Parts: sequence; structure tokens; C-alpha cells
Amino acid sequence: MRLAPVPATLLFASAGVAGLLASHLVPLGVLALVLLLVCLRAPARRRRPYLYGALATGLGIFLFSPFLAVEGFDVLWQGGPTVPVLGQLGVTTEELRTAALNGLRLSTLALAFSAYALLVDHDRLVAAAGFAPRSAFAVALATRLVPSLERDAGGLSDAVRGRGVAVSGARGHAKLLSPLVAGSLERAVNLAEAMEARGFGRQTRTHAPGARWTPLDRLALAGGALLVVAGALWL
Amino acid sequence: MIARVEHLTFSYPGVGSPALSDVSLELGAGEVIALLGPSGSGKSTLLRALAGLVPHFHGGSFAGRVTVAGLDTRRARPAELAGPVATVFQDPEDQIVMARVANEVAFGLENLGTAPAEIWPRVDEALAAVDALHLRDRLTFELSGGELQRVCLASALALRPELILLDEPTSQLDPDGAECFLAAAEGLGSAVVLSEQRIDRALSLATRVLFVENGRLLLDAPRDEAGDWLAAKRPRYAPGAAGSPPPPAAGDSRPVLDIAGVSYAYSPGVLVLDELDLEVRRGEVVVLEGPNGSGKTTLAKLIAGLLEPDSGRIERFGRVGLLLQDPGRYLVRESVLEETALAVGGDHARARAALARVRLDALVERHPRDLSSGERERLGLAAVAVAEPDLLILDEPTRGIDPDRKAEIAAWLDDYASAGRAVLVATHDRSFPAHRRVSLSGEALLVA
Repeated sequence: MRLAPVPATLLFASAGVAGLLASHLVPLGVLALVLLLVCLRAPARRRRPYLYGALATGLGIFLFSPFLAVEGFDVLWQGGPTVPVLGQLGVTTEELRTAALNGLRLSTLALAFSAYALLVDHDRLVAAAGFAPRSAFAVALATRLVPSLERDAGGLSDAVRGRGVAVSGARGHAKLLSPLVAGSLERAVNLAEAMEARGFGRQTRTHAPGARWTPLDRLALAGGALLVVAGALWL
Repeated sequence: MIARVEHLTFSYPGVGSPALSDVSLELGAGEVIALLGPSGSGKSTLLRALAGLVPHFHGGSFAGRVTVAGLDTRRARPAELAGPVATVFQDPEDQIVMARVANEVAFGLENLGTAPAEIWPRVDEALAAVDALHLRDRLTFELSGGELQRVCLASALALRPELILLDEPTSQLDPDGAECFLAAAEGLGSAVVLSEQRIDRALSLATRVLFVENGRLLLDAPRDEAGDWLAAKRPRYAPGAAGSPPPPAAGDSRPVLDIAGVSYAYSPGVLVLDELDLEVRRGEVVVLEGPNGSGKTTLAKLIAGLLEPDSGRIERFGRVGLLLQDPGRYLVRESVLEETALAVGGDHARARAALARVRLDALVERHPRDLSSGERERLGLAAVAVAEPDLLILDEPTRGIDPDRKAEIAAWLDDYASAGRAVLVATHDRSFPAHRRVSLSGEALLVA
């Protein structure tokens, strides 16, 4: 059974907020794990960059922040080089705990966003917005153009490499930015033409009816609210 | 009658010569019309005039009159014509608006103000008509070109139009996919104007044929009559016309490429190429055939070194150059000359010589994106061939190319190979002339 776009978005947003508010490692870890399992419902090829990003940022925080923080007395390691402002590098139990908490918070937030990006029907979410329809539509269109942009960037790089010209480093890739933008503008003009030919801009626009909310959708809304409260008070 | 064009003459802004000159015709209900002519002859402009996009979207100078479904296109905007008229453009990537297939098909219906209760049934009906109901809940950016093109046709069908305009809709499809698409288009019941470079199939569907050249309507006749005219006046467009095979390959048997046991998968368990062997020798033009998704582009990228095989060996005896599909989209410099000189370290003399070979030497200072689509294709070819790679690989070089231009490319490639180099052409086009054809069907490589 699938959730309607609005309850699903609110539920994922609540999970992200609860993750930010939580201050205990175990419930936060459980929340992150549940979100990870939800993300695994998306096709492997699509979910890979999202999951990599979500987990890598959390891990990065966990690995590096203990060296930057100065907190606690239970020293686990000391004797690193002395860094201006930070002093001598060292790691305490308290710093590790804080780093794990912050890393998990960030991962939880990123996983909640990933679940939203991977699993929610954005078209119907925009249609359900009911206000500023043109702006909401522009946002949906921009979201749809992201994969095209990604493909065009790969195509540009391959086209140049296919001519025997190496594309390497930030400078090499930066040179492809201007043609990428030019190509996107061209694509946007073509799309605008196709949209006009399909009646976009008429005053009589209607919306395809969304699916009726099921008890599961209502449960998701209630669960989302509960999650935020739990995150603030108990987690 | 659905549409009437009266003495239409149209020029795009800033372009001296008209794209259409004094064109007059009438379209009746239920007619299937094949619109033929060389690239840049005015076919797309005529379709856009029927959709009202010319002059409203493009601007320019418009004389004459076009009436569609009782509306004068000078006064009615394209959005007002949508419904009675539906258009499917050449590149599906450039016309998909929504992220999910069902929403994409519903988009036009929503724009037209269709009663909400009617929208989903009509979406399902249109998807079923093009045998794409199974794609209903898929994400549009995950679909293949062929699947996307079906979704575009379904989006047009859902509007229940009186007139459907198809602008080279099968250019991205393999022959079987094109066959299915055109069969679906044939059974629509609406009037259809089909601009198409798959001449035989278009002629077999059509009840009437239009031939446009240099903006002028040279032929407007029933199919049988048109066949005689084409055979006499434009034989490459005549039914059954096929390119002449190139002369036998030169006697140089040194290999330029040797592939043994190559396998490749984009993700674990999804094998695109399995234990593939292939040898290409100097002097040869080899065609690599296969349906959409059979791995032709993947193999081309592996040979060019853009991908690494999971297993097996690829030996290259010389330099390899690869021209990807749709090269006009992947231009990276500010002038035609600089674009071509990129592969030879900025050597303008070599770049000018390469441009002369594809007849672009008069346009060296132009911005690549100001060129027509046909000119861009030729620029892409010059930009790769300028470095004179020992093995030149072209991925779908005849996509959307007219028969005259296709013959020209084939002759050019034959010359290129006969100079002691080799050419590998990955294409759907079963009529592209070659010394040898290999068929990549699923995971098997069949040599003919």
C-alpha cells in the first residue's frame, strides 16, 4: 500500500525534524535505520547517490568533529600536533559521543530527504499544493530537469573524451559548465514550445483527482506529529 | 476538412530566405499523410504552422493563412489549438514535463480543462492504445527513448485530437520499435501528418504524400501517384530505394581492433555485454546492428576507452575516435573553428581542412549552436575526424538524416576507411552500406 504524497512528505519531514531534536543515540539510530530501510524500496541505481551522500556526511562528522571539538575529561587519546586555535589534538569519550550523535542527526535528516526525493510523487504533491500553482510547477519542472542535466553533463564529458581530449580535474570539468548551461537553455526552449503545444497557459486548467486518503495516510499524519513530539521530549 | 493552408510564406527572424514559400494544401478527416523532404526543407516548419507555433512561438514574417479546426492560427494561440491538434516532436527528452508517466499523459488533459473524473480513464485508455499501460507508474527519466516516444504519443492521443502532427517521431527507435509506433499511429482514426525519414514505412502507411524542398511544396498526390513521381524525380525517396553497397574493402588485413571475451554490466547482475569477440581490420566499414538496449553504445564506449570492461581484453592498434549519438547537443566551444580544432591542440589549419571535407568551411566563425541540426551533425563528425583516428566509431550517425545526406555520409566513411583506417558504425539502420555487418542481439554477436 502506498501513502498519498502529502502525508508521505509530512511523515518524512517529521522524521527529519525528530532526528534533529533527538538526543539519545539508540532511538536516533533506530530512526535512521528505519529511514534507510524505507529508502531501500527505491531502485538500486537511483538510491545509490542519495544513500552514499547521506551516510558519507554522517560518517564525516563522526570521524572529524572529535578533533575539532574540545569537550569532556575522559581522555582516550592525546598527543597529536598542536593546531592554532584548537590547541593540541585529542579525543575524549564525550567528544566521541557528541560526534556520533551529530553524525547520526545529519544522516537521519539526509535519509529523510532521500526518502522524500526517491519515493514521493512530486507531480501530485505540487498539484495538491493548491497555491502559487505556477511557482510550484516551476519547482517540479526544475526537479525533473535535474536527471537531464546529469545526463547532459556525462554526455558532454564523453563527447570530448571521444575526440581524444582528456577531461580531468576541476578546471577540465569547469570548462564544460558553460556548454552545459547553453544546452539546458536550448532544452528549456524546446520544452516551452512543447508545453505550449499541449495547451499550457490556458485559463481553464483542472487537476487529475488525487487518490483518496486512506486510514494509512491519516495514521502517517498522526505518526508524524507524534514523532516530532517524541523527538523533542523523549528521544 | 480539418485544416487549410493558403499561400503560406514564412521566414524565421533574422533569416533572409523563407522556410516556407507559397504553400497551399488542405487536410481532410482521417487522412494519413507522409510529409517527405530533405533535412532543413521546411517539413518541421510546416508542422509548426499547423500547430500554431509558427508564428506565435518562433516569431518571424508570416504571410498567407492557416486555418485549423475552424481557428485562424494568426489569431488563435498554440495553447488554444491544443486539443483539436496534438504534436509529437522528434526528441522525447525535450517534451516530457512530468516525473511520472501517468502524470505526463494527464498533463495535456489538465491544461485543456478536462473534467477531473475523466482524466485517469483517458490516461489509461491512451497508454493502452500504444501498448504502454505497464509504464503507467514508472518515472519518465528512467525510460528508454523508445518507451518515452510511446508515452509522448499516448499524451497526444489522450487529447482525442482531430489532427496529429508527428515530427520524425521514430528517429530514436530501432526498426521494430518504429514499426510498433507507426502501427499505433496508423490506427488512431484522426488525420495524421507524419514527417519521417523511414521512407518505406511512411509510404506504406500513407494515403497521400507531400514532398517539400527548399520551402516549396513540390508534390501533393495520392500515394500511388506519388510513388511514380518520387521514382522519376527523387529516386532516393522512392519506395524500395536502397543505398548502393560500397566497393569491397581494400586488401589491408591488419587489425585495428581486437576484442576477446569482453563482458560489461552497469550494475551487478545486469549484463549488457557477455563474452563478446570482435575484430575490425583497416580498410573496413563495419556496421554494428542491434535493437534499442542491445549494448551498441556501451560497446562503442568500451572500444573508445570511455568505459573499462569487467572482463576480457580490448586491443587497439592505433588511435580511436568516437562520435556519440546526437553530437549537435554536445558542442563545447564558441566557434565552429575552435570546436573542430579542440582535438588537434588548436591547429587551425587541420581544423579548416576537416571542415572543408564536411562543407562547413564557410561557417568557421559561427557559434556552433547557431548552426542548423544537419550542420551540427556534420560539425560533430569533423570535430572527431580531424584527428584522423585509426578507428572512427560513429553511434547512430543517420538518426533523422535524409536519404541524400545518408548516402553522402556513407561515401565519406568509405573514403575514410579506404585511406588505411577503419570505421565502425553502430546503427539501427539496416540499409546503411558496409563491408561487413555484425548484429548485437541481446548478448550474442552474430557476424554476417
